[in-house]
Amino acid sequence: MSVERESSRVLPSIPVGPGLIASVLRLLAFIDDLPAGATGVLKFGEDGLILLESRKICWAVARSMRLRLTDILRNQSTPPLPREAVEEIYRRCKVDGKPIGEALVMSGLVTEAGLRVALFKHNGEAIAHLAGSGLSPDAFVSHTRTGYDPKFSFSPCEVLAMLGSLDDPARALAAQIELGNALVPDSFGAAFVRSDTTSGALVIAVDRACDLPVSDLVEVCNWTAGLFDVAHTFDREAALARATWGGHLALVTWRAKDVAFVGLCASRAAAARLVSRLESTAKSSGVIATAARYGGPA
Amino acid sequence: MRARRDPLGSGLESGALDLVCAAASLKTGALLDQNLPERARERLEGLAATLPDLFGTLDPTCLDRIAERLGGEPGDTTFREILLLSDKSLHVIQPLTGQPGVALVAECPATSSIGLVLSAIRARVMDMEGG
Repeated sequence: MSVERESSRVLPSIPVGPGLIASVLRLLAFIDDLPAGATGVLKFGEDGLILLESRKICWAVARSMRLRLTDILRNQSTPPLPREAVEEIYRRCKVDGKPIGEALVMSGLVTEAGLRVALFKHNGEAIAHLAGSGLSPDAFVSHTRTGYDPKFSFSPCEVLAMLGSLDDPARALAAQIELGNALVPDSFGAAFVRSDTTSGALVIAVDRACDLPVSDLVEVCNWTAGLFDVAHTFDREAALARATWGGHLALVTWRAKDVAFVGLCASRAAAARLVSRLESTAKSSGVIATAARYGGPA
Repeated sequence: MRARRDPLGSGLESGALDLVCAAASLKTGALLDQNLPERARERLEGLAATLPDLFGTLDPTCLDRIAERLGGEPGDTTFREILLLSDKSLHVIQPLTGQPGVALVAECPATSSIGLVLSAIRARVMDMEGG
């Protein structure tokens, strides 16, 4: 599944601008600041809402957005899904009070992966519109209703990366693949670049396990960027680093051209496996030749 | 073998490892060993100078929250070891727990065994801290 590749095709109404990512960060920080199990509706007056389950984004909508989920779903297929079939399911769901996406999957019209991509785009667009209009949530209404499938919910980090990827979708896709190939169990990570569209690191890819508060993710990326900056003052070839803290936790970072990666590891063994995996990548790509020597645990 | 007798005495020491190391200030980035041979100083000055930019610049509460997400214990927000690797060199920074504000900085060629280098550095740190 290629979220980034699709996103460039089906997100035409995101208000991309220099301030978008900063606005999105501010909005997502509201979600991060909620209690860990927060489930309910984050309201933006009459302008939109974000539905959350355990602080993950299940659904978002903004009054100013142009595309509906059904439009995105229809246009994801070639040829597009028949409008009548989609609208019939939509009508039934409205009567039954069921989520349309899952009903479409049940009907066989849409795959789970396709639904996830479509929801990701829809929610991303809604959040971009809410953020772009400078709105702040005016209320969070908790509820106990659950039932959204975790497969179809998204962390604030994922949304941030999706919007960051719009700067250069092909680069983001490559970074997502690199991240997926490199990360090991007990680790999660992100890829970022420097961009004119934001003052610090622009996160362009994360893996699905990455659910840090967005401000922390950006902070770590900025620190990592600084690490390479200062390292290059005395060794221009520095391309891989590992920092350990807290007894057994580790941060592994590496660079490939203009993209930097961060892997956060829950154990020294995970860090060793991550670097060992980078070794294999380095052998084929030659990007991080030094990693080849760093195969075992410290 | 000199490396075994004193694997990380200040300056250029281990023939086996071609490893240089010295104590440096985390706050100023200055090398603290006045008697460091010139060649060793040249190899370590750049690394030492980065210390103020690497330590204390990442919000400790951020590291705490990341530790929590990783299943670790919050509270220890100081990097215990930083390794930097390049085609040419391996650089190591290890803050001294017994001497707050001081770190051992070390550098050796990229062809060195990292496991050996880290073992030697840790041994040296233990010596310095009277372990």
